[in-house]
Amino acid sequence: MIQPSSRAEAFFTALTNWPKTLLILSLLSIAAIGSFVPQLHKDTSADAFIADDDPVLIYREQVRETFGLEDPIVIAVINDGKTGVFNPGSLHLVQVLTDAVSKLGNVDPDKVTSLSTESNIVGTNDGMEVTEFYDPYPNTQARADAIKAAIADFPLYQGALVARDGTATLIVVELIDQGTSEATYQEIMDIIAATPKADGDEVHVAGVGAIAGYLATYIDNDAKTLNPLAGLIITVVLFVAFRTLGGMLLPNLIVIGTVAAALGSMAAFGVSFFVITNGLATILIGIAVADSIHILSQFYEERVRMPDAGKQEIAVRTMVKMWKPVTLTSVTTVAGFMGLWFGAEMPPMKYFGLFAAVGVSAAWFYSMTILPAALTLFKLKPSKLFTGKNTNDRYGRAMTRIGKAAMASPKFTIAFSLMVATVGIIGTSKVIVQEQQIENFQTDEPLYIADGAINKRMDGTYFLDIAIETKDAEALYQPRHLKRIEALQKFVEAIPAVNGSTSVVDYIKQMHKAVNENRDEFYTIPEDPDLVAQLFFLYSVSGDPTDFEEEIDYDYRLANVRFNLPTADYVLLTKIMPQIQTYVDTEFNTGEITANLSGRVAVNHKWLKTISLNHTKSLGLSLLFVFIAAIIVFRSFVAGLFSLIPVAMALLLVYAVMGFSGIWLGVGTSMFAAIAIGLGIDFAIHTLDRMKELIATRTGSYDERMVDLFPSTGRALFFNFAALGLGFAVLMTSEVPPLIRFGGLVVTAVTASFIAGLTILPTLGKLLKPAFLFADEDGAPVGKPVGAAVGTVAAMAVAGWIVLADTAEAADLSDADAIIAAINARDDGEWATRNLKMELIDRRGKIRKRDTIGYRRYFGAEKRTVLYYTGPSSVKGTGFLTYDYPEADRDDDQWLYLPALRKIRRISASDRGDYFLGTDLSFEDIKKESKVAAEDYTFKTIGNETVDGFETVVIEGTPKTEKIAKELGYSRVLWRIDPSIMMSRKAEMWDTNGNHLKTVLNSDIREIGGIWTTHSIRVENHKTGHKTNFIFSNVDYATEVKAKVFEKRSLKRSR
Amino acid sequence: MLSLSKSLYWYSLAASALVAGAAIPTHARASDTLELSAILETQTALGFKQGDLQKNEFIFKPELGFDFGSSSRFTLIGRIRGDSQGRLEPGRPPGINRAAFSGRVFAGDHLEAEILEAYIDTDIGNTFLRIGKQQIVWGQADGLKVLDILNPQSFREFILPEFEDSRIALWAVNAEIPVGEALLQLIWIPDTTYDDIPEQGAAFAFTSPLVVPQAPIGVPVNFRPLDKPSNAFTDSDVGVKLSAFLGGWDVSLNYAYHYVDRPVVRRSVSDAGITITQNYERSHLVGGTAATVFGDFALRAEIGYSTNRFFRTSDQADADGVVRANEFSYVVGLDYSGFTDWFLSAQVFQSRISNFQPGIVRAKTDTSLTFLIRRNFMNETLSAEALVIQSVADNDGLLQLAMSYQWSSNVRLKAGADFFYGSSYGLFGQFRDRDRVTLGIEVSF
Repeated sequence: MIQPSSRAEAFFTALTNWPKTLLILSLLSIAAIGSFVPQLHKDTSADAFIADDDPVLIYREQVRETFGLEDPIVIAVINDGKTGVFNPGSLHLVQVLTDAVSKLGNVDPDKVTSLSTESNIVGTNDGMEVTEFYDPYPNTQARADAIKAAIADFPLYQGALVARDGTATLIVVELIDQGTSEATYQEIMDIIAATPKADGDEVHVAGVGAIAGYLATYIDNDAKTLNPLAGLIITVVLFVAFRTLGGMLLPNLIVIGTVAAALGSMAAFGVSFFVITNGLATILIGIAVADSIHILSQFYEERVRMPDAGKQEIAVRTMVKMWKPVTLTSVTTVAGFMGLWFGAEMPPMKYFGLFAAVGVSAAWFYSMTILPAALTLFKLKPSKLFTGKNTNDRYGRAMTRIGKAAMASPKFTIAFSLMVATVGIIGTSKVIVQEQQIENFQTDEPLYIADGAINKRMDGTYFLDIAIETKDAEALYQPRHLKRIEALQKFVEAIPAVNGSTSVVDYIKQMHKAVNENRDEFYTIPEDPDLVAQLFFLYSVSGDPTDFEEEIDYDYRLANVRFNLPTADYVLLTKIMPQIQTYVDTEFNTGEITANLSGRVAVNHKWLKTISLNHTKSLGLSLLFVFIAAIIVFRSFVAGLFSLIPVAMALLLVYAVMGFSGIWLGVGTSMFAAIAIGLGIDFAIHTLDRMKELIATRTGSYDERMVDLFPSTGRALFFNFAALGLGFAVLMTSEVPPLIRFGGLVVTAVTASFIAGLTILPTLGKLLKPAFLFADEDGAPVGKPVGAAVGTVAAMAVAGWIVLADTAEAADLSDADAIIAAINARDDGEWATRNLKMELIDRRGKIRKRDTIGYRRYFGAEKRTVLYYTGPSSVKGTGFLTYDYPEADRDDDQWLYLPALRKIRRISASDRGDYFLGTDLSFEDIKKESKVAAEDYTFKTIGNETVDGFETVVIEGTPKTEKIAKELGYSRVLWRIDPSIMMSRKAEMWDTNGNHLKTVLNSDIREIGGIWTTHSIRVENHKTGHKTNFIFSNVDYATEVKAKVFEKRSLKRSR
Repeated sequence: MLSLSKSLYWYSLAASALVAGAAIPTHARASDTLELSAILETQTALGFKQGDLQKNEFIFKPELGFDFGSSSRFTLIGRIRGDSQGRLEPGRPPGINRAAFSGRVFAGDHLEAEILEAYIDTDIGNTFLRIGKQQIVWGQADGLKVLDILNPQSFREFILPEFEDSRIALWAVNAEIPVGEALLQLIWIPDTTYDDIPEQGAAFAFTSPLVVPQAPIGVPVNFRPLDKPSNAFTDSDVGVKLSAFLGGWDVSLNYAYHYVDRPVVRRSVSDAGITITQNYERSHLVGGTAATVFGDFALRAEIGYSTNRFFRTSDQADADGVVRANEFSYVVGLDYSGFTDWFLSAQVFQSRISNFQPGIVRAKTDTSLTFLIRRNFMNETLSAEALVIQSVADNDGLLQLAMSYQWSSNVRLKAGADFFYGSSYGLFGQFRDRDRVTLGIEVSF
């Protein structure tokens, strides 16, 4: 039998001595971690795939803010009749839809662009006139024809607003909040359905805004229903495997613990739930169940073997046998997923790897604790399926047949495997790296059809923005700059995939032509900067000055050029983006004018660019980690190679399927390799571990010793495979192509690893007789771990090299620093005393009040503050003392006195982003009072704003590093600084996921003894709906606060 | 004896009122600083095993405070407590462990009143003085005692209530004198009050052989009255503490010469049977504490060496059934507050006896572990915690779950559950049938 593993036995005996305690503690720990899950923040946007501080994203944000450009939803009115859309009916429809859409809550009415909102620029005797295309209203064919003529004379709108052949026109709708674009898409679809259309009019809705938002919810909704279904199917598999209630319920308990641990820790660490996180749940369900299946199978076998033994004894025996293989598979699976964590570039994938590893560890932990405890505590009904020495049901027999067949003719088995591998290699060479968001939809999805219809007629609904930046205000009046932009447009438009562009230059040329009696030869950039300025002035006299805000900023320093592309797939982008970038770098940029690629297209290119590298890196690392883990657990280099065989077969088959069926290696599919490794390695480890054990404990020929491999381990592996395979097969019933592919490829991978593990490994063992398999056999020479050690070190070195072969990028920007320095230099008195009343208001408006008195005093540059609660009685006497040191790297010292403990308690101070005693300000906010930690942020002035009637400068602070952002809990802060008093009147904070977090209003600012002092702070937390009002009174900077007030002993006396 | 204690008690109460009364009119500002507040609380506990009420209490805790003189303040905290069940202390406890002027007043079997604290705070130069009935707490550990021995404790509900509520305040003089950067604390406690230990028959009466001598069946047992020190001068306790904040560490050195608050129970065998005598013994305690923070972790430690301790032995040949030894004990605790709204804490407690002999009923090295998890929700309106105390030597322990909800500024709702586990031999296991759920409301005025 198995070698007596006394330590393991002692351990599990000790563990099962307290089954109830253990179960309660485990359940409590599950509940504790699980309690985080509701805080999980969903981020299904495509931007989530790029690191927050990536320059492309920063520029896109800047373009978005300066020019108000968002990813639009595009409505197309199409008419293939003789007059195209230029007929009263179609034009009226445009008007009706434009009006209706403008009224939607999530639509900025100023940012809806259509023929009915746009203006024509025409020359008149005394200059030019700006009139709306719809003035007079096109209720006759003649007037419709007039609009057609006007468009024909206005190149800017051709292809962008109206199809060049006149068969389509667009209503471009920009959204206020991209996060709810899916709902807006649905609302627009409802409006269209409800609007009567004239003969020949067709309406389509597409655009990146619609696709990105819709895709996320599309996948998410489907996954939400399919994940539970997968759980159900797996439960059915468990029923077939054990036919007992306990056999069905216990694994599900482990599943709950596992999923709670992974998702709970994601929430605890503030990591968002991304679209691909849906796959994580399914994978963890499969893995958690696999551990249980192996342990429960062993349990039922032990029970049959020792019918008279007590529950605890059987549970302990089971664990003594199973802890090792289950631990080994967990270690290797964790290793596989860690490869993804280190190898992937895109945050959602990184986190997928990390939290899959967390989940696998949790599955292992609960399998090692809950299962033995439950098996000891509850009386599990015996399973009818486990009767003899081996499980002799049809599954066990089938496994035996397969295994025997493979071992009977080992050379055939190996040859066949090599053949399959060759096919895999051929398939792999056919895999195409490609990604296009629209292809994630079913081809009969209206969005898919619309995308095709619109992009066929128009210049394109995918936008590449190029942000132009000059040094000085009004620099863009200079003809030399304008010509540079014109040349850039010409260059980019010459690229076949780019169909058109819009910039302020087009407007200038149109206006120049208009003031010159509409003569075509004046469709040029004027040579005189003053004339350019005058053109803008003339426009503003008769037109709406905000008409250009999407093209140029208000002081004529920044401009945006928008290019239209009908498609934006990865292969295309990798071809054209470098071309454009090279042009910008070599031809465009000078000391006084620079261009930056931005817009959805640039963002997409940026993250798609990483797919290929991402994939290779994570694949390589996963393989290496698994390899290292296998070498370590079996203490043999050859064993490491053996373990990789089923995984390699799985990978080759997955690639073959992808290559032959034309599935792209895209965003989603690039993770399959790592997942396949993580899941597939289990089959190898279980098989190898059992083979080792059988060789060590049985006698006879190799084949004789292997007899028990198939009906017991093989059977358990079969159900492991069935649970995983069927669980993922459920995903193939999805409507969503990415989920179908995900399900299909994982099933392929699991099947391949299962079959390869069960056939190739025993066969190879028979052929090669590797030393590691016979290491535990009596009389076997003591193994030389040198090979293993060398192998491990070498593999680790390679892994380290892959992980470290990264380069960092940096950014610049600064000019608000002086203001911040002035704020921080503001005198706030050597000491201060004040009463502070706090009102904590929850979402439902219920108020809790706290009365406090606070003291502050500077000891040189060191600041000490103490705060006492004076009411209500339940918290009275609570004191909070802080020593804040001037050294940036020195943590504060903090003590809390709780009257209930009668003890002064030292508390850790490093969580400056934590909320201060239940309020909505953080410890850092409270500590800094009205100042700002200059060392934490990079500052930028971004404009002016009036707050409560006071002129303020808006300063943006971005935490210098991700670590600081995490510590503060902010990814961005906007302060409205009143320069006359050097204080912030209003601040807004965004959390690390970029969501609007808090608004802080400082009011009732009065001078006390020459020091400006805010007497009211109102904080609203937008995430929780909680509010806090801080009301200060009796502020006194004159009376000295004695030094001893800040001694610890004073805390006990509340004074 | 009892009547004397009562009259002295009323005398001291009257004296306090006199001080208060005298102080208020003489200083016009006293009325400005006068603070009156109170907490009214109900506590109900339902036992699991018996399925009936273990207690059904209301507690009224008024507090009065006002300033007098230039830097002095008087504080008086009282408590009136009623329990409809009366199972925690059936009837009226004799109170012989209490000093004459530190007792409780009973009205019937279900109602009691007590001065919890009554003291004057004053400053003399840089020296801070607190004189009167007060709690003086030493040490860094939570729920475990190495240095926190100055005040005795009430065990009417074992160690389930918060120490603040179970600690018995003592009449004492407490002076804190700054010495350079350090602080010297001098304590004189003339109050000879010791632990409240529930009588046999009470819900939490001790039954574990670790603390209660077991007589063979059929042998007559004769109890001698408790021999308690009572001289306020010769029997007083003294304590000295030197504390400082050095390089980020809070450290202290402590010394106390005191009576151990739990009586030594001796047996003597004669022809007439077994005679049990109980008296209190003095001990020297030397120790120290240290605490600091590393990032999100706070480390707390306290260590103590006490002489002249007595441990029960099961050796029948032993003359009095106890062995004298010295005890070395320490607690190391680690708190983690790295996750927002979470507080995790673990402690290890070990005690080792110097003169260990085979018959001693406790282990030579006694180890206990505690784990505390607390989580705040909804801007600290709701808090939930779980505390496990595990005795390693006896393999028993206690799991306490508690939830508290701040319903409004001054109303708090509480619910909890206490589970004891392990063999009835152990300190915790002896209450394995006392598992309970608790509910309570706390209103403050």
